[in-house]
Amino acid sequence: MSRVTRRIALGIGAAVTLALPLVLDSGQLSIYILLGLTAIVTVGLSMLMGYAGQVSLGQAAFYGIGAYTAGLLALHGWPPLIGLVAAPLAAALAALVLGVPLLRLRGHHLAFATLAMQLILLSIADNQAWMGGSIGLQGIPQLSLGSLEFDTDMSYAYVTWIALAGVVLTARNVIQSRPGRALRALATSEVAAESAGIPVGRYKLTVFALSAGFAGLAGGIYAFYLGYVSPGSFPILLSVGYVVMVVVGGLGTIWGALAGTAAVTLLVQLLNQLGTRDGVPGWLPSVLSYAVYAVLLIAVVLYLPRGIVPALVSLRRRADS
Amino acid sequence: MSDFLSYVLNGLAVGCGFALLASGLVTIHRVTGVVNFAQAMFAVVAGLTAGSALGAGLPHGAAELAGVAIAVIAGLLTGLAAVGRRGTTPQSALIVTLGVGILAYAVEIAIWGDQPRSFAGLPGSLEVGGVAIQWQYLLVIGVAAAVFAALALFFARTDRGKALTACASDPYGARLVGIDVLRMSLIAFALGGGLGGIAGVLVTPLQPISFDSDVALIVNGFAAAIMGGLNRPGPALAGGLLLGVAEALVAGYGNAAHQTEIALVLMLAIMIWRAVRTPVVQEETV
Amino acid sequence: MIQVRDLVVRYGSATALDHVSLTVETGELVALIGPNGAGKTTLVNTLSGILRPASGSIEVTGRLAHVPEGRHLFGDLTVEDNLRLGAWRSRDRDPSWLYGLQPQLAELRRRKARTLSGGQQQLVAVGRALMARPDVLMIDELSLGLAPLVVTQLAAELTALHRDQGMALLLIDQNARLAFDLCDRAYVLEAGRNVAEGPCAELARSPEVARAYLGGPVKEIS
Repeated sequence: MSRVTRRIALGIGAAVTLALPLVLDSGQLSIYILLGLTAIVTVGLSMLMGYAGQVSLGQAAFYGIGAYTAGLLALHGWPPLIGLVAAPLAAALAALVLGVPLLRLRGHHLAFATLAMQLILLSIADNQAWMGGSIGLQGIPQLSLGSLEFDTDMSYAYVTWIALAGVVLTARNVIQSRPGRALRALATSEVAAESAGIPVGRYKLTVFALSAGFAGLAGGIYAFYLGYVSPGSFPILLSVGYVVMVVVGGLGTIWGALAGTAAVTLLVQLLNQLGTRDGVPGWLPSVLSYAVYAVLLIAVVLYLPRGIVPALVSLRRRADS
Repeated sequence: MSDFLSYVLNGLAVGCGFALLASGLVTIHRVTGVVNFAQAMFAVVAGLTAGSALGAGLPHGAAELAGVAIAVIAGLLTGLAAVGRRGTTPQSALIVTLGVGILAYAVEIAIWGDQPRSFAGLPGSLEVGGVAIQWQYLLVIGVAAAVFAALALFFARTDRGKALTACASDPYGARLVGIDVLRMSLIAFALGGGLGGIAGVLVTPLQPISFDSDVALIVNGFAAAIMGGLNRPGPALAGGLLLGVAEALVAGYGNAAHQTEIALVLMLAIMIWRAVRTPVVQEETV
Repeated sequence: MIQVRDLVVRYGSATALDHVSLTVETGELVALIGPNGAGKTTLVNTLSGILRPASGSIEVTGRLAHVPEGRHLFGDLTVEDNLRLGAWRSRDRDPSWLYGLQPQLAELRRRKARTLSGGQQQLVAVGRALMARPDVLMIDELSLGLAPLVVTQLAAELTALHRDQGMALLLIDQNARLAFDLCDRAYVLEAGRNVAEGPCAELARSPEVARAYLGGPVKEIS
């Protein structure tokens, strides 16, 4: 694709997604919002996995940190906007602090360490009275800006859209910056990158914090949107789901993260709707969604190891040439 | 004092379960270089199968064997997915085993539903110095001891066990002497499935399991296995017992809610300590 | 024993072997020489079934064994275990007969392979291959990194096996003089192609071969 056609495609994509909330019914709107929030997380995770070469099985922990930060501040009377700004900052700060020891690990060690981190945080949230224990935080007020109340699904859809656009632009700028290009070397060999004078540790930590910040932002919006968060809202499976979406779409590409998230979320929703029809056993929806996650993940890793979007791009290139 | 003893025994029994899981992780990693995320799934599948078999009227012993047999098959299938395709890197294989674990959720919920299940183990208890020890605990400890001894003999004394080690030690050398590395990898996965299955049928009477019990189990198993660098069964056994006892004591004297955190924090500390001591270059070439 | 005709082997788009032919008759001692990257290791790896040919034919009668470059012993296992696994394909894995032939191996039998010196490791590597009771032994770099005395000892052992049991040998060695001394016939590979072949004595008289491989001005050092 040339630069011009890419710009046009980008414009059309933006216009369509902007217009979409106007025609969706309320059930579809909530899917739209959740899809957008998920995409905010996966764009960050895709950078972490694709550029820093690290698997995080605890990304939902940062989503949770954002949600709890926003929820707690709002419940203590702070203006919602402060909560929304603090959510990504708190998550990024947590990633900076936790990342110093954790990022000394690589590969399956880091995967297990991030999983452990999330389990520990969940257990803490479960046991702390000020965090609401296992019941969580309830009655979180709506997002508002001065006298402007965000009390409709439509308004949250646009908040999500704006947040996602901001995240995509930020990620794009980081990827295209000089450090971003250096990061690409990191995914293949840390030793080679280090000997080329790239401050590997600092860059890894930065990407980790950035991806956590994105997740925290999404978590913040989620808290205001649902008005309720609990440890049960952030299971390990949520983290695993993010990894599935990133791997399916293709590591290290923004488009891959967006496409993977949309494909997996919509497929799971579609099967959910089939599964909740009359006369269908109650366990079917969860069985179907687990099966979709699993089959997609296994098939893509084995047969399209670079993910769907990069595979399509190279197919197109081959067709063009 | 008698409280203390019963906590320790309880912990040893649960720790044996962790150690058995860890030994499966170690067996698979040692031969294939793959960390098998689906390892605890074998335990869940075996426990649930044994429960159903008992419900269908099979006697104890046969039901547990059926559970372990299903776990062996699950291990073999996991191995086929993870290493059956030429050129799958250990990193990709880890993600594949993660996928297999989720796929198992779908199958388990379809067959057994999503509620925890259990079945009765050995009834009664043994009175020693005023402390009542449940027979099931002793069974778990005895079986784990026998399995570890058999495993040690298998790796140290049989040519097949040595061929498995050879595959990990030098895959190219193994192929040159005619060892079928893929076949050995599948054997390792089947063995890992069996070990996980044994853990599952032993532990299910102690703590009910459901499809998603695998997360807590795999974390404890991995924490135990990491003590031996994922390659040595001996330290994995020690690690499992240590974790089991520490968690039982914390649950007994402190707050049961914190017991998994012990394993998690310990695991993180050991991994980071090991990582700090090992230079990056060495790790990449291994 | 071994008959290779028009063998082509590729790594991706790079051609490692380009229509190579080679024969080893029963009980024959054959040297394979050439510079680094000529395709010698690729050829023996293909004969061992590690690599798949793109085209051409390979016929092997009898048992093949392969001592790889870099030895590739099982470092975590003892010498005796390494030897037993050398006979993995056969039922009789008892290395006693080899100990009779090579008493030094009997002394080392309980040592872990990774703790041995380079010369000892090469001895074990050759021993491991012999455990397969091969009709043809392929050795990739016999003398690399070894002291001359050790090389002489290994060479004597191989000659004895050839004499007593009629074992054929396909020897790759950077030290062409050693290879020529030990073998009857030789092939020269360069850039994946056959460039010369014939009896060693004859090849040694060829000025190009002598200059390139037998201590002329462009002698290869590795």
